[in-house]
Amino acid sequence: MIRFEDVSKTYPNGTVALKNLSVEISKGDFVFLVGSSGSGKTSFLRLVLREELPDSGAIHVSGKDVLKMPKWRVPYLRRNIGCVFQDFRLLPNKTVFENVAFALEVIGRPTETIKNQVTQVLDVVGLADKADNLPSELSGGEQQRVAVARAFVNRPILLLADEPTGNLDPANSEIIMQLLERINKAGTTVVMATHDKGLVDRMRKRVIEMVDGELVRDESRGLYDTEVSTGF
Amino acid sequence: MLSFFRYTLRETGTNLWRNRLMTIAAILTVTVSLFLVGAALMLKQSASQASSHWQQGTRVTIWMKPTASQAEVSAVDSQLRTLPFVKSCTFYTQQQDYEEARKLLPQSEFSVLQPSDMPSSFRCTPTAPNNVFVVETSFTGQPGVLTVTAPEQQVRQMEKVIRIAQWVFVGLAGILLISATVLILNTIRMAIFARRREVAVMKLVGATNWFIRIPFISEGFFQGLIGSGLAVGFLAVFQTWYPLPVLFRLSTTAFIGSASVVAILGVSIGSIGSALAIRRFLDV
Repeated sequence: MIRFEDVSKTYPNGTVALKNLSVEISKGDFVFLVGSSGSGKTSFLRLVLREELPDSGAIHVSGKDVLKMPKWRVPYLRRNIGCVFQDFRLLPNKTVFENVAFALEVIGRPTETIKNQVTQVLDVVGLADKADNLPSELSGGEQQRVAVARAFVNRPILLLADEPTGNLDPANSEIIMQLLERINKAGTTVVMATHDKGLVDRMRKRVIEMVDGELVRDESRGLYDTEVSTGF
Repeated sequence: MLSFFRYTLRETGTNLWRNRLMTIAAILTVTVSLFLVGAALMLKQSASQASSHWQQGTRVTIWMKPTASQAEVSAVDSQLRTLPFVKSCTFYTQQQDYEEARKLLPQSEFSVLQPSDMPSSFRCTPTAPNNVFVVETSFTGQPGVLTVTAPEQQVRQMEKVIRIAQWVFVGLAGILLISATVLILNTIRMAIFARRREVAVMKLVGATNWFIRIPFISEGFFQGLIGSGLAVGFLAVFQTWYPLPVLFRLSTTAFIGSASVVAILGVSIGSIGSALAIRRFLDV
């Protein structure tokens, strides 16, 4: 699904984002991306989305060489990738329904399809009764569920989440987590960058840890922190 | 495809309304500048139309008083024949001049005229253009002579004035066209800024670049279109109501010609303004 081969990226201001990163994420995986701020998690996600290009190395996303992809193909790549952010990024002047519908509208889906799919996905995230509310009328947890609905409405094969629970209390974080797990069970690969130790430790999914743009740990059923051998 | 069309129109409408003050400023600038362009074009057309109407070869006309006696007319006639610098002359009777006036004057002015009110005239070709003035001085004030005119000289003079006016119009219009383009560019820039969240989401969910661009381009296009529409309207009003002499009045075909140039110019500057804004401010 995602393959990075020896990828390096340095920003023009000299900040090193990624250093010789090689990693492979298979179809259907659920991956936690952990590491302190500035460790390169967000850069990793931006490279997958081809919002940035690496200085060297190769990146394949869903079997396609992202670097050799012509610019006009990029939107079609992104149609297969859903995105969720810490700050929700909803459109404040559109209702919940319109926010989710917008994602389908701008890729030219017919009105009838949009209606069906949006109703369905709002049902999945449990917000069918809030369809006509504006985002400002919802709680943070609900807003993030709208964002998840928007990311998932087009049934992407890959879902990227950049600290989706960063602004939420534990109860709401749990709801988002369950949603992401459900989406993953339905066959979508999920990559989630997070600082939420509790969540990572409880889920016991694959954990990729980055420090200063380098991959330092890749465990299939990992914890947030390295398990330190205490000798006992 | 249809839904994209609807989407574009809806987004364009929203943008225009949200930015209505700037939009109005841009549209009015387009209107004024294009009105000047149109006026310059029409001026040129009607001037060339008018000068081609004047009889070829006639360089000076001696108008006799309507009350001039036969003897006074013959005196002028024989005098003209003896002058070495007059090549040839044609005599127009009062009736002939009356017929000509019918063609030249607006109906409202013509209807009060009688053939007996009309002067008869000698249309003369001098041997050299400058001799016009000799004819003018030697016959002005002579008994029975109303006045001596040199229409082509006048037309030339007028053409000169028109040419200057044209250049002034074109110059002003040029400056205004530039500011119209900049104003349109700025409204699009503001629209892009107002919609930066939408644009970010659109890019994220995989809207194609043209899908994102087209509503903004169509916004500029419509500003240019509305502006040129207004300009054409004003030109049409001007053309219909301003009492130009018949000779200068343009035919509908000629007017449509000028109007289409104005319309094309309008939508071009609208599209160019928005295209520049998109290149510069929309990161897709």
